[in-house]
Amino acid sequence: MKAAACLGSRYRGDDAVGPLVADRLRAAGAAVLECDDEPTRLLEAWTGLDLLVIVDAVSSGSPPGTVHRFDPGDGPLPHDLGLASTHAFSVPEALELGRALGRAPRRVLVVGVEGASFRMGDPVTPAVDAALDGVAAAVVAELSED
Amino acid sequence: MSSSDTPTTREIRTDYLARVEGEGGMFVRVRGDEVEEVQFKIFEPPRFFEALLRGRQFTEAPDITARICGICPIAYIASSCNAMEAVCGIELPEQVRLLRRLAYCGEWIESHVLHAAMLHAPDFLGYAGAVELARDRRDLVETALRLKKAGNTVMDVVGGRAVHPVNLRVGGTFRAPSRPELQALVPELEWARESAVEFTRWVATFDFPDYEQDYAFVALRQPGEYAIERGRIVSSTGLDIDVSEYEQHFTESHVERSNALHSTLAGVGNYLVGPLARYALNSGELSPLAREIAAEVGLGDVVRNPFRSIVVRAVETVYAADEALRIIAQYESPEPSFIPAVPRAGTGHGCTEAPRGICWHRYEIDGEGSILDAKIVPPTSQNQKTIEQDIVGVVRRSLHLTDEELAHRCELTIRNYDPCISCATHFLRLEVERA
Repeated sequence: MKAAACLGSRYRGDDAVGPLVADRLRAAGAAVLECDDEPTRLLEAWTGLDLLVIVDAVSSGSPPGTVHRFDPGDGPLPHDLGLASTHAFSVPEALELGRALGRAPRRVLVVGVEGASFRMGDPVTPAVDAALDGVAAAVVAELSED
Repeated sequence: MSSSDTPTTREIRTDYLARVEGEGGMFVRVRGDEVEEVQFKIFEPPRFFEALLRGRQFTEAPDITARICGICPIAYIASSCNAMEAVCGIELPEQVRLLRRLAYCGEWIESHVLHAAMLHAPDFLGYAGAVELARDRRDLVETALRLKKAGNTVMDVVGGRAVHPVNLRVGGTFRAPSRPELQALVPELEWARESAVEFTRWVATFDFPDYEQDYAFVALRQPGEYAIERGRIVSSTGLDIDVSEYEQHFTESHVERSNALHSTLAGVGNYLVGPLARYALNSGELSPLAREIAAEVGLGDVVRNPFRSIVVRAVETVYAADEALRIIAQYESPEPSFIPAVPRAGTGHGCTEAPRGICWHRYEIDGEGSILDAKIVPPTSQNQKTIEQDIVGVVRRSLHLTDEELAHRCELTIRNYDPCISCATHFLRLEVERA
């Protein structure tokens, strides 16, 4: 079983990458885990998954719209990409917690889109918007691979 | 982080929410033995939502404001529903009101346990976070996750789902759960109640820094129950007002150095909302079991040490499980499950006890139900000035600590309030400068 977890807020500029990709994945029939702000709820949903693809906006200083693909293996998720979209418990922390408790997916892949603006009420940056279809297609391909 | 052997100026700064830079942070400057400056700024999404609400239908306010926080959506839903029901002249039938209170009990359990066990307890035990705690004490974290899930499940069953519940509406619920659906929650809630008692005993053994403040406590009060989803606003300084009178007594003022608003109570100044305030003002209304465990761990009638807020949260978790079971035991599925809301021009106010403290809403709508104006005052912004005051007091008493210990103590102080930035204080960075 493979699934995607798409993070972020639709109301916060380019932070909407996750939800906007989730819309596309659902339309394509892919499995998307509900997450929003509280990722410890994911611990059960992702336990036993063969692959979890985490889709999120990132803020690393690259040009807006740059697509990052990161396979952490058994290592930690890259906090320095700015994967901290929650205000209580971040997904990297939840994944580390899952590993400590034996409740983690077998493999994790991070697909991030570089954002430019994350303020409440901002629109999605055009370069980010332009990247979303391609990202969604790539994630669907990852999820459907044998 | 940088340091020196003989620092004359020490600066402590956090940059949380790195992705939303400029919207929040903490800064402390110490010169010699004097705390020269403290700034604590918070992220305030409600300001954006107030603008977003204008022009929307009054029935949309619960769903829209639920998006402000994934941890405490019921607080926003309940406060906005109360306000709209006040405009429309709706009084909820008892079973419908109790359903809302039941969902709120679920939110208190999930929010309190997430904060107390996963974010706050590791501070006291010397762990960097829940992950490190889980490696050593897997049993504790597994229990906390199950306890939290018990709360989430209540929110799922009553609210439709735990994150941004969709079943709650102005006037009641779209669909009232059947009695068997709620009865199915009983075994896990009974386990949760017992586990919360054990959790309370455990957190009460922590080593709490010696620090007390003579806070002005503000909370809701409803005779006959521990106020959650309704009540008058009262204070330890003698205030006792209807929620519609809030703006006559509480003022939000702009602070020159930031975009944040500081709340003050007229004639008093800064004040405190949240578990300590509720406990100080309403502990006599707790259930016998919650009162018993509070007495057993030595809480007394009033807790003025903010570090002991974790114990009060644990007691409130016992209460929330107890109260949920009480509501379920007497429950009869209401028919109809809501009172239809007919809009009329006017202004309505709503205030409920979010896990972090009172969450106050005001809406003005026209005769067609269109929202003309919205005002939302969340708990963390009300506590902001008091948090600053606590940081000053704690730093002043902790200057003997190393920079690292001092940074940790500041993190702990902020986390006492369970602000909507709890995890972010992990990014606290300490800087020491030579003058």
